[in-house]
Amino acid sequence: MPKPKVAFYWCASCGGCEEAIVDLNEDILKVVELVDIVFWPCAMDFKYDDVRKMKDNEITVAFINGAIRTDEQEEMANLLRKKAQIVVAFGSCSHLGGIPGLANFWDRETIFESSYGKGCPSVDNPDGIVPQTVSKVPEGELTLPAFHNTVKSLDQVIDVDYYIPGCAPPPYLTMKAIVAILSGELPEKGAILAPEKTLCDECSLNDSKPEKISIKEIKRISEVISDPEKCFLAEGVICMGPVTRSGCSEEGDGKCISANMPCRGCFGPPPEVKDVGGKMISALASIVGLEGEENMSEEDVEKLINQIVDPAGYFYRFSLPTSLLRRKRMSNPAKEDRYNG
Amino acid sequence: MQERIGVFVCKCGPNIGDKIDVDTIVNEVKNIDGVVTAKSHNLLCSNDGLEFLKEEIIKGNLSRVVVAACTPKMYEQKFMNTCEEAGLNPFLFHMTNIREQVAWVTPDKILATEKARKLCLAAINRMSFQEPIEKKEIDVQPDVLVVGGGVAGLEATLTLTAKGRKIILVEKDDSGKTETTESAQFRRVYLVEKSPCIGGVSARFEEVYQTMECAPCMLSPELQEVLQKENVETLTYSEVEEIVGSFGNFTVKIRRKARYVSEEACIGCNACFEPCPIEIPNQYDGGLSKRKAIYLPYAGALPNVPVIDRLNCLHLNGKECNACEQACAFGAINFEDEDRLIEKNVGAIILAVGSKLSDPTQFPQFGYGKYDNVLSAIQLERLNASNGPTGGKILLRNGQEPKSIAFIYCVGRKEKGYCSGICCMYMSALAHHVKEKLPDVKIYSFYTDLCLPKKEHQKIFEKVLAKGVEFIRSDGSEYVDYDGKKLIVKYKTESSVKSVLADMVILAPPVEPAKDIEKLAKLLDIPLDEHGFFSEEHILMKPFGAPLEGVFVVGTCQGPKDIGDSVAQGSASAGKILSRLMLGEKLELEPIVAEIDEEICCGCNTCIGLCPFSAIHRDVEKKVSVIDDTLCRGCGTCVAACPTGATKAKNFTMEQISAEIMEVAK
Repeated sequence: MPKPKVAFYWCASCGGCEEAIVDLNEDILKVVELVDIVFWPCAMDFKYDDVRKMKDNEITVAFINGAIRTDEQEEMANLLRKKAQIVVAFGSCSHLGGIPGLANFWDRETIFESSYGKGCPSVDNPDGIVPQTVSKVPEGELTLPAFHNTVKSLDQVIDVDYYIPGCAPPPYLTMKAIVAILSGELPEKGAILAPEKTLCDECSLNDSKPEKISIKEIKRISEVISDPEKCFLAEGVICMGPVTRSGCSEEGDGKCISANMPCRGCFGPPPEVKDVGGKMISALASIVGLEGEENMSEEDVEKLINQIVDPAGYFYRFSLPTSLLRRKRMSNPAKEDRYNG
Repeated sequence: MQERIGVFVCKCGPNIGDKIDVDTIVNEVKNIDGVVTAKSHNLLCSNDGLEFLKEEIIKGNLSRVVVAACTPKMYEQKFMNTCEEAGLNPFLFHMTNIREQVAWVTPDKILATEKARKLCLAAINRMSFQEPIEKKEIDVQPDVLVVGGGVAGLEATLTLTAKGRKIILVEKDDSGKTETTESAQFRRVYLVEKSPCIGGVSARFEEVYQTMECAPCMLSPELQEVLQKENVETLTYSEVEEIVGSFGNFTVKIRRKARYVSEEACIGCNACFEPCPIEIPNQYDGGLSKRKAIYLPYAGALPNVPVIDRLNCLHLNGKECNACEQACAFGAINFEDEDRLIEKNVGAIILAVGSKLSDPTQFPQFGYGKYDNVLSAIQLERLNASNGPTGGKILLRNGQEPKSIAFIYCVGRKEKGYCSGICCMYMSALAHHVKEKLPDVKIYSFYTDLCLPKKEHQKIFEKVLAKGVEFIRSDGSEYVDYDGKKLIVKYKTESSVKSVLADMVILAPPVEPAKDIEKLAKLLDIPLDEHGFFSEEHILMKPFGAPLEGVFVVGTCQGPKDIGDSVAQGSASAGKILSRLMLGEKLELEPIVAEIDEEICCGCNTCIGLCPFSAIHRDVEKKVSVIDDTLCRGCGTCVAACPTGATKAKNFTMEQISAEIMEVAK
């Protein structure tokens, strides 16, 4: 019997998810024993044409990481969807939009301006050249994929069967998912292959949390020497743990937490939550200044809330494209979804 | 199973019928998947309409019902009852408001119809997420906590325990709950009073308007009755420390401050006062007289058991003195006494903690605290009282009788922003008493406006006028000076600045909330108004109900008022309780409460400190939050705060609300 075929692909991502596959270490050998890797541009020499030539559904499972922000990524996502029986959105960017998704607070023009324009200190570009989809050169035409105004999660572009969350996904969850898929023990379509409870449930600092929690002052992690035995929120450092799925560490104590860092929210929301940022803001607003609330003036409240630096970026760090906000409103809505030309 | 939804659009006569094209809506919603009946009715809340609704539910075997009509505040309950009569769980019913929110505010019929159509579709869209809710009942707790032993609290206490109650004796410190079923038949009132005695401010007045009756005499029978009633537990020198729960089921913690004098052993002979070496100004006499460290607030105070002031007692501050102990022939002094926390379960709470007169030093233009003979009205009350510091004589500080007195009304009215409404009367009454005792005294009464609203008041005013009291209208800018011999009251009339000389000046400062109000408001999470008095639920319709069910705010803690009005409120609040907390009945719990799914809850504790009803606690074993549904009132605070979505408000779930919003936003 031929071995099942597996594809790995990356879209708008940092490469960390590729590392996460490599991080399977010797387990990857087990995977290779069981499957044929038919496509993995990051690690092996395959061409897009190799995929195009495959029959529909020939690939058993395609793991796609990264968000979708260019025509090329969109095209490859659609191609892999066609060729694969199962598509797994792998990692935060693919699952929720991820860090690249924060670009939705801007648009193509402003991003190009800050990357190639005069405001960018590291670029010497006196002619103000920005990437074009087609550039005529003496030798002929050069093309680049179109850069979209809006970054999308994978399931905003194609139908997705499963999600493995994380920035990057921990190897143990990846291995569990591969084993489940290969053994045919498939969960319900659309399942997120991680625990449902949020991080506080398994957090080793949870017992240190006071029963009635009130935040007097909000601090950034860089501003405190945080006590490794104390809940971050109780210390005034915003931790996204309450609103973020657990499972990031196989040992069950939170990967960032065990490194004495607050949770940043890469595992995304639990099943009942639609909008991570909104939920966290609502929870935080409920406990900020709770003690002595009646003696606070509007100005006091504002001062306290203003201690949150970059709230949009903080609360929607991994989830902006899939949140209720989705993106900043475009000045010209007709241009919203893509760049034509 | 496919839901069988019935949609009923009420025309409310012309109210909706003329403004919205109801037929178009009915015809459209008929075709929605799941809608088996869609009909309009001319007046759905009429008996006809309700009968029609009931028949339609039964005939159509409906599993969900949408009514588009007026605000749910009007007849939601009526429609829910009809659903129940038709055998449908009332929470499978939903009402959408197309009258107040559409017909009455959107004049364009086409726009109004479109708006109403969307609201109907939203309601229908919500129906598949609607779930039946079963009502729960608990045994009613008929006992009542009354806080404050002034006239309002006393009246409430007596009304609550008035009649038909067989009295059974319950030892104070034993648990009365060991009694068999019979004991549950009787309503007990716990009367908690902060000061050592009951009777409130009124008991300190010699003669009160309108009757000019001696207040201690008038009150004494009531005070005795309260003290002797065996289903009233009077807890003087006590304060409420904690309240949790809701109507029909409050748990209250009361601190009984150490009195150091045994209420059982003391016979009230007062032999202990004389030997006590400590003397300090008596606040119950407005500081005009001195009291000892062991004292009664005033002669005749009830209960007639003194109290030792722990701040000033030598023995309690480590010095060698046991003068009172030696003087007591009954062994009633107990220096070992300690504060005790006792817990009571009650069904309702009456707050009658009263008010106080503002400290006149807040208004320095009148020279109070600076000049000896500038007094506040309450000090004159005490001078006039036969149990007061001068035995009822009106005297200057130097012991002489005043020849002239200036009464200044409306002190601080502008600054406070309200008229206390009682000063005109008590000042007139005081002027009357002073004139009785010192017929030759010259009295000037400065006022900016007179407030004489009741049937007796005009008469009293005229009486005082007839006695020769000179009323002078000024613009409220009076101030008091002193020339070394006499006080000078300067005032402005419309045309000029004038002045009069007086031996004594009496100020009527505003009535302001008692200190405890804030603490109690916090304990119960009920609001205060802009002046710091308790807010009532509705100033006209529910003038003494707090905006929390089962809690009443009566007497002057709700706002300045006279004795009669305070008594009326005390009595009325008792009536409300008597009619709702029936002995032996069951109490239906709020069905729309929040619940926590322990499979989802991460135990982050966000909700626990937020609950205004202390209904949430942490299950330490399971590491999750748990809601006590007998305490939860369904306010939704925890639901909004829950970061995981584990906490849901029944009948207002995220699915239900977003189904509505998404439909409207389409």
